[in-house]
Amino acid sequence: MADKRITIRATRFDPDKDTAPRLQSYDIPFPDESMVVLDALNYIKSHVDGSLSYRWSCRMGICGSCGMTVNGTPKLTCSAFLRDYWPGAVTVTPLNNFPIIRDLVVDMEDFMQKLKSIKPWIIRRQELPLGAGEHRQTMDQIADFRQFSQCINCMLCYAACPVYGLDNEFLGPAAIALARRYNLDSRDQGTKIRLPVIAHSDGVWECSFVGECSVVCPKGVDPAKAIQQTKLDTSVRFILPYGNRE
Amino acid sequence: MTAEADTAHARTRTYKPAMPAGWWLRKRHYFLYMVREFTALPLALWLLWLLFEIYRAGRGASHFYAPSSTPFVIFSVICLLFALYHSFTFLRLAGVILHFKVMDKPVPSALIVASQFGAWLVASIVIGAVLIGFGR
Repeated sequence: MADKRITIRATRFDPDKDTAPRLQSYDIPFPDESMVVLDALNYIKSHVDGSLSYRWSCRMGICGSCGMTVNGTPKLTCSAFLRDYWPGAVTVTPLNNFPIIRDLVVDMEDFMQKLKSIKPWIIRRQELPLGAGEHRQTMDQIADFRQFSQCINCMLCYAACPVYGLDNEFLGPAAIALARRYNLDSRDQGTKIRLPVIAHSDGVWECSFVGECSVVCPKGVDPAKAIQQTKLDTSVRFILPYGNRE
Repeated sequence: MTAEADTAHARTRTYKPAMPAGWWLRKRHYFLYMVREFTALPLALWLLWLLFEIYRAGRGASHFYAPSSTPFVIFSVICLLFALYHSFTFLRLAGVILHFKVMDKPVPSALIVASQFGAWLVASIVIGAVLIGFGR
């Protein structure tokens, strides 16, 4: 069906001209069943309207750059197939809960600051020289944190989280999941250093367990699980004196 | 943030969409979440009423009468349904929250959830038996 077409409605916002975002429709060819929403946006940019702005990079669900809201659901546009929406129109809007810089591009600054605040790296009380060898782990020890290490920082979980939408002070799903990833890592000794951030009232306790963060995650990470388990762990650490020791 | 980046950031005018009041109607998942949270309200109302009944019973038999009006029965049945839904969702989530290991192997979530429902059933039977026993 060479004549097959699909309507893409994309958010347009020029900070120098517009006071608020608006939707613009594009009727484009849909010749290939393997086309994804990102392909449609690239077609529009290449053949219809070169001014359309959006982020993308790898096209294979790894970089996490092309997260947008597709028909109301946060998705990686490189993994959202047009065939799942055709013959209906596809409405592409920026990720919810973030300030819009231009068109489909959102301001990631708040997310980046939150990510940095949980110190997402292995913290050791005392660094050993390289000659001391590797920090060896068993497969079970890796299994403890592996799931939470799959996050690609696509921010879909923040866009799906109404708690973050209502209160931007909330540390948010990805940052907490990443904190848990390091806290569960047998090589890490930084739990106490991360505690003031994750156990803060704007940390895990702000979450009321909507759970949509885990539903939209494209990599199968379960941030809601990380948050609830962190709540339990921090409570146990608070109640039991020996829990405060590392 | 460096001074240069700060200036560039300040120059960029962004648009921050407000969260609509009806956000919880946008998705089925959000709606069910709100229902789950709301179920605590009729539960609390019913418990407040129970406290009031205990207070009345404490003032002597002359002040107490068993509530059996149709509106009250309907209200209680509705509260019971909310309580069951609240308990169901709460116990189902236990598999996500609880995590522990037995002999260095993590206990499967399904087993944790099953144990919670089992404990709920046993507790309900025991409490029911005690109440019926005292009622006779």
